[in-house]
Amino acid sequence: MSEIYDIGYRHYDGPRLGGGHATRALAVHSLRAIFGLGRTARSKIMPFALATIMLVPAVVSIAAMALIQQRAMTYSGYAVIMQAIVAIFLASQAPTVVAPDLRFRVLPLYLSRPITVTSYVAAKVAAMTAALFLLLAVPLVLMYAGELLIDLDGPPQTKEFLGALSMSLVLAVLLATFGLALASLTPRRGLGVASVIAVYLLSTASVPIIYSALEMSGYHSAASWAWLMNPFWLVDAVQVWLFDTPSHAEGAYPGGPLPAVIVVALIGVAVAVLAARYRKAASR
Amino acid sequence: MHILATEGLTKRFPTVTALDQLTVTVGTGVTGLVGANGAGKSTLIKILLGLLPASSGTAKVLDLDVATRGADIRRLVGYMPEHECLPPDVSATEFVVHLARMSGLPRTAARERAADVLRHVGLAEERYRSIGGYSTGMKQRVKLAQALVHDPKLIFLDEPTNGLDPRGRDEMLALIRRIGTEFGISVLVTSHLLGELERICDHVIVIDAGRLLRSSAITEFTQATRTVTVEVDEGTEPLAARLTELGQKVSPHGRLLLVEVSGPGTYDAIRDAAVDLDLCLIRLEQGRHRIEDVFREETAHV
Ligand SMILES: Nc1ncnc2c1ncn2[C@@H]1O[C@H](COP(=O)(O)OP(=O)(O)OP(=O)(O)O)[C@@H](O)[C@H]1O
Ligand SMILES: [Mg+2]
Repeated sequence: MSEIYDIGYRHYDGPRLGGGHATRALAVHSLRAIFGLGRTARSKIMPFALATIMLVPAVVSIAAMALIQQRAMTYSGYAVIMQAIVAIFLASQAPTVVAPDLRFRVLPLYLSRPITVTSYVAAKVAAMTAALFLLLAVPLVLMYAGELLIDLDGPPQTKEFLGALSMSLVLAVLLATFGLALASLTPRRGLGVASVIAVYLLSTASVPIIYSALEMSGYHSAASWAWLMNPFWLVDAVQVWLFDTPSHAEGAYPGGPLPAVIVVALIGVAVAVLAARYRKAASR
Repeated sequence: MHILATEGLTKRFPTVTALDQLTVTVGTGVTGLVGANGAGKSTLIKILLGLLPASSGTAKVLDLDVATRGADIRRLVGYMPEHECLPPDVSATEFVVHLARMSGLPRTAARERAADVLRHVGLAEERYRSIGGYSTGMKQRVKLAQALVHDPKLIFLDEPTNGLDPRGRDEMLALIRRIGTEFGISVLVTSHLLGELERICDHVIVIDAGRLLRSSAITEFTQATRTVTVEVDEGTEPLAARLTELGQKVSPHGRLLLVEVSGPGTYDAIRDAAVDLDLCLIRLEQGRHRIEDVFREETAHV
């Protein structure tokens, strides 16, 4: 030990980059953590297994296009059909992003550096959004590349592909802010996972209940609003409005911009919850 | 140059006033901030880091105003919190590299600095293991390393000896002394024990209930209190009277007499008085008192 102590101290006179650099580094670090990169093999299993399952329909669709000249999967319906996988990914990985720093009180170490609460939260949201976007977009890109190579009858469905890609981003932002807000309120990992899953299941289960309740009481046109309880159908409704795609629910959505307004409002609520949660944590 | 200066600094929480009109300056070197539990030490550090707003008054760190230049201050200082702040599932190396990057160091520089600093705090091979398995002493070293990794001009160490055994405490104190001297980094270190800071500080600030009790160089603390303890078999009182007659400052402490040493003449006076009164001198012990005693006297006067 004493020899170790004998090495003289060296000062650092290299560059000191600003808060922006630190925020980006934090976002990349968190994104890597979501996929378990630089962590144990065990923490890679869940994210990579789910990401692989997400690819299966794309691969099947490419095979169908090549072999029987048919599309097995649409771009616009991908997220709705695969929603359970996306929800499990969010539930299992959102706590990884926010829970440890709150639970083990690491936050003061960040805030005593050139990182503000706002940039800290922004980095975390950016990382979770990027992870969800990758999860949703990689299969779409793969499928589109397949379509271009295989050369089916008719032009490639570029518009639908690009629409689905941009809706993936919207969905990723909505899910990331909500998932992180829920996980930050329950800093124990297990609780965080459970609370995100519970909210997803509730939102999904409430759809048929509300739908049939409205149908039976005679409000047939209002019943379609029930679909908007679930985030995946909610964003699908926005897609229908923006890109004229068919509905991927078992009926039509309420038309017009209202679903989009709801999406923006929900993101606003989630960001406000995150801000309040972290302002409180920072003042401890 | 002052590394920090406060002026009428006050922090009120809904139910308590944690800092009350605190006006104090600190120069380079190692400064101890001493006070009982709840005296306001941690609150002061958080205000100096710009993490908590002050209720009134001003504070400057490295000549930067904490209210407006918090971001610049946080680039130049390091902070070791009093509470646990380490995630258990990463290694010390990974953790310190990451926090170096959060301080704005590029990736390669962050790795080099982390390796350097972990060596300086005395973490060898174990730095590749998960922090969850570390002893309290090792965790305190990791906390110190992350505060040093970006080579700050000034570090705030909040109760760094908390929870350490006597040996760990000594090692930590020696390390802090080295940071202040060899590393050339100014240190503000808190403790509720005056005695342990006496050995490593150039300057000591004592606060109580958010108020400044005393701020002075360590030499003032110790010089002013250089005394010799005298114990005689019988006749303590006549000896005290005789010494006072001879112009010495004497204070009785039970069966003992504490005589302030004003020069070599003091020892002659004690010897002569004892011989004159024909007393049996049991003990003549030179010992400056600890700053604990100063603290006790100070509070007694307040
Ligand atoms: N966030 C807060 N809200 C309300 N009161 C607070 C808060 N933080 C500190 N206090 C109060 O302010 C006073 C000073 O607290 P502080 O933590 O600064 O003391 P300290 O000197 O660091 O004590 P210790 O030796 O226990 O760490 C205490 O009475 C404490 O209860
Ligand atoms: Mg404290």
